[in-house]
Amino acid sequence: MCKMKVIEAKIVVLGSQGVGKTSLVVRYIGKMFSKHISPTIGASFFTCNINLENARVKLQVWDTAGQERFRSMAPMYYRNANAALLVFDITSVNSFAAIKGWVKELQSNVPEAMVLSVVGNKSDLEDLRAVQSSEAAQFAASIGAQYCETSALHDQQGIDQVFLNTAASLLKLSNSNLVSSLRSYDSADVDPDKIPTGTPTEEDATHTGKVELPAWSIDSIAHGDVQKNMCC
Amino acid sequence: MEKLKEIEMKAVNWKSIREEGLDLEYAVPIPKNIANDIFKELENSLEYFTGDLSKIKVFGKVYPLPRQQVAYGDPGITYTYSGTTVPALPWPAPVLALRDFLVALRGIKYDFVLVNKYRNGNDHMGEHRDNEPELDPTAPIASLSFGQQRTFVLKHRDARKTGIDKRPIPPVKMPSLRIDQSDLKCKNGCDYFGNPQWQGYCSKCHREQMQRQRKAEKESSATLPKPEQKKPDRGLRIPSHSSFSKFEEKRLRQSETLKKANLLKFSVFKKSSTDDHDHSAEKRPPEFKIPGIVNEGMKREFRARFPQLGPAVDRDSRLFVHSFIMDVIKCANVLTVDELSERVQRQYQRFMKHMDTSSHFANVEADTKELLMDFVEKHAMTYLHELPSVVFSPSGTDDERLDRAMSERIQQLSWVGERHLDCKLHRDSPDCRQLLYKAISELLGMDSALSPGDKLCRVRRCCRHVLRLCAAPASADDLLPALIFTVLKANPPRLVSNINFVTRFCNAQRLMTGEGGYYFTNLCCAVSFIENLTAESLNMDKKEFDCYMAMPASIGGSAWAAALSLCGAAREAGELRAQAHALRTRTDHVHSRALLLAANAQSFEEQIAKKVHDVLAKTPLEIKPRRELPRLGNLKEVNTGPLIDLGTTSVQEELQTKPEVKPEPLAATLLPIPTESKEPNITIQPETEPKLNILGFEVIERQSPSKSPQNLDQTWDLKQTSSLELLTPSPLGFTPFDSRSIDELMTPDEFGTDQLAPGLSNINYDIDLSDFSGDNSIAEEAPKSEPKDPFSPEALRKITTFDPFAPQTSKGFETALDSFDEFSFVDPRKQETDPFEVVHRGQDPFSPVELSKDPFFNPEKQSTSILDDNDTPATACLLPSPIQPQSSKKPT
Repeated sequence: MCKMKVIEAKIVVLGSQGVGKTSLVVRYIGKMFSKHISPTIGASFFTCNINLENARVKLQVWDTAGQERFRSMAPMYYRNANAALLVFDITSVNSFAAIKGWVKELQSNVPEAMVLSVVGNKSDLEDLRAVQSSEAAQFAASIGAQYCETSALHDQQGIDQVFLNTAASLLKLSNSNLVSSLRSYDSADVDPDKIPTGTPTEEDATHTGKVELPAWSIDSIAHGDVQKNMCC
Repeated sequence: MEKLKEIEMKAVNWKSIREEGLDLEYAVPIPKNIANDIFKELENSLEYFTGDLSKIKVFGKVYPLPRQQVAYGDPGITYTYSGTTVPALPWPAPVLALRDFLVALRGIKYDFVLVNKYRNGNDHMGEHRDNEPELDPTAPIASLSFGQQRTFVLKHRDARKTGIDKRPIPPVKMPSLRIDQSDLKCKNGCDYFGNPQWQGYCSKCHREQMQRQRKAEKESSATLPKPEQKKPDRGLRIPSHSSFSKFEEKRLRQSETLKKANLLKFSVFKKSSTDDHDHSAEKRPPEFKIPGIVNEGMKREFRARFPQLGPAVDRDSRLFVHSFIMDVIKCANVLTVDELSERVQRQYQRFMKHMDTSSHFANVEADTKELLMDFVEKHAMTYLHELPSVVFSPSGTDDERLDRAMSERIQQLSWVGERHLDCKLHRDSPDCRQLLYKAISELLGMDSALSPGDKLCRVRRCCRHVLRLCAAPASADDLLPALIFTVLKANPPRLVSNINFVTRFCNAQRLMTGEGGYYFTNLCCAVSFIENLTAESLNMDKKEFDCYMAMPASIGGSAWAAALSLCGAAREAGELRAQAHALRTRTDHVHSRALLLAANAQSFEEQIAKKVHDVLAKTPLEIKPRRELPRLGNLKEVNTGPLIDLGTTSVQEELQTKPEVKPEPLAATLLPIPTESKEPNITIQPETEPKLNILGFEVIERQSPSKSPQNLDQTWDLKQTSSLELLTPSPLGFTPFDSRSIDELMTPDEFGTDQLAPGLSNINYDIDLSDFSGDNSIAEEAPKSEPKDPFSPEALRKITTFDPFAPQTSKGFETALDSFDEFSFVDPRKQETDPFEVVHRGQDPFSPVELSKDPFFNPEKQSTSILDDNDTPATACLLPSPIQPQSSKKPT
């Protein structure tokens, strides 16, 4: 029985309406929790546990309303967030432009470092692609974010990776001790031997439940670096 | 300011106070109207120090000045006090005019002025001495005061010393406080008296003023459609709400007037002493104590919720809550809300750190720590929440006004429906309505929850209902519009206050994260959206929007309102139905129980009846024997028979009675028998009839003393005469006879005489025959010797005393009888009659015969009587008397 580092982080999902934020999330948690979630319960908020090699990341995923009319409320959501999923539709240039706006807003409004992930959704609609993946990757790199493309329809793996990458980056972030809002503590109640990675834990918490994801691809993607500190 | 020059200096009425070390002159040189103008001008033109100059250092600590301050003077002059050096600014026009006024008034040209403005009743200046070295000791200090009245207290410096040096010199209060009549007049100068409640106006002017004010507000709100702006009361809300808002308005108005009525205390050129009005310090309770119920409640809940944690944790958390509450209350008046909120958050962090470091919490898991945090927060905030204006819509914030504004705004937006917000709601489905209804009631319940955690919990439950309301799978895109819709339909009370309370004082960690935090954020978004709602945000035409907004709120009632009220009614009906059902089951129960009881009662009755019947069948009527009681009396009557006639009929009677006694129990006719038995007596001696009457009475009385009849019957048969003699007294003398007999042991003579119950008298009568000639006079003495020698000749004499049935003796008897109260009632007469009768009897020729017969009888009687007498003391007393006659006869 060894002590395990536990990180609690808040991750907010941003993006224009119709880019598939919700379906992304629903796909993610839907797969994980098909057993636990009644279909009537919403996917706007859920928590999940992601076990990494020697740490556990408790992710709180906050979905946001994408309608333009609620655009001005966004700061309330991303306040104190440790990570952001910036979702755009690869078939819509506007949605990609909106992502750029979001990034600017986050950089100017969030004082602490955040883990950013740019997600190009609807990768199944390759024919209609309007945003080139190289362009998106370049943009992601410019803001120190990671980029991946997913399809809420088919590509379950991509979605899993997005969350895993984020979790790994958060772990790095917490190790850097630059962020005060990121809670981390040692927990004695977790036994890594007992809980093999990749097995969902049946912890009773919120109605959305919690999940353990396999930690197979950390090294490949985890490069989400710390944003520069915006604190004045 | 020009008016100042017109004031007639000579007319100023100076008064002076002269005390030890005090030389003070004061006056009201500037008339009220001019003073008011000067006050206004000073208010408008003067600017007060800010920054370091608005702070004060006392004993090394820096405090903000409890007043506003600025100094003016000739160039180059500074003034240092309490470690602060105040630079003199160039004179502004109004102050300069006042300086000139002072020159004209007193002929002194001052070169420096310190202006102190006391903004409200809490601003003040402490006790101080103007002993700074820069001051010219020869020049007096002039002090001018404008605005509201304030007390100016002067104390001798020695009165402030401690120990021996202290001198009890009472402080001098400036009588300038005296209120002039003009001060009481209406501010408008309409010659009516004003009232502080009406801000110094008279009632009429105040009303006009208020109307003007409202009009102005109306106009301003019309030009600025921001929700924060005060709006005219629409008067369309439910009564309770409108009364509340009225109260609100009043409160707000009061606070505004407070602000207006701030005081400019204009102390020019250094005062000679202090003025202080530490009302605030006096008002504050000396020691604040948290009621024990908080502590008790914590203890109880801790035991219930954290049974696994030790007492150290319990104590720590309670200690923290205590110090936390005290800290908040202490700081609440000093800090602004944001500062207070920060301080509260620091307190939470402090406790968190304490939990992480303290050994008491070493074994507590992280999740439990969070629960403990919530627990602590809940108890501290629940208590603080109830204190007015401390943490919930604290004083100094706009919360309450914003609440009203928000409520009115929502009222105005009641026309906004689900289609405007793009919600996917199924208005027709009853499930949907029910869910909405539940969500709304949770949202309304937020106001009644006391701690931030509870409020969050309410919001969470509300949002879960809202989520269910949306089509599955509900996302944030659906949640927010639906929540906005819910808030619009609910119009929760004190919404802004509640949100601000949670934002400020909820543990930030909890608010930022977790489901509750997420939903609360959504609620905040909804509120913000409603606040800033425009035509564009609803995707509708501007004109249409304006049209809707111009519509009176009462018209905007939607089908939803009706549906929701139906939901409420349905729920209420459901509750009532459940209640009715419960009542019905209860009545059914009671009814069945009642039936059971009735059946039981009936069966019981039957059983009893059966038993009674059985018993009756087993035991035929044998109730009659009870009539033996009267038979006793009969026996005695029967026995009395012989008493009356003594020897003559006794034998016959015995013969008669014996057979008679036996048939008596069988025959119910008891009385006739004695009469029959007496009849022979009567035939013999008609004179005895009165006795019979007496005996007849006795018979009736006899019934009361119960004696076992059957056992006695035989003895009766044997004793008869003797027992009759013994018993006769009791019927006559009633129960007291027994007691009397005991007393009379002392005076047997009287006893004897009194006991001349018929039976005894008869016996005496026998003796009388021999001693008939005896003196009556001796009667009283004689009995005394009686006990000594019943057989002696003296005894005979005594007996003669008994006899005195002659009229002479009767007198003696009467005297003797008189001494006995009880006997005097009945007995004397009877006894009197007795003697006469006896006298008649004296004629009896049978008597000698009887005597001869008596000896036969007597021994028997005596023996039996003695046996009986031994049993009862009363009879013991009687014993001698029956013996005497025999003894007397024997010698004869």
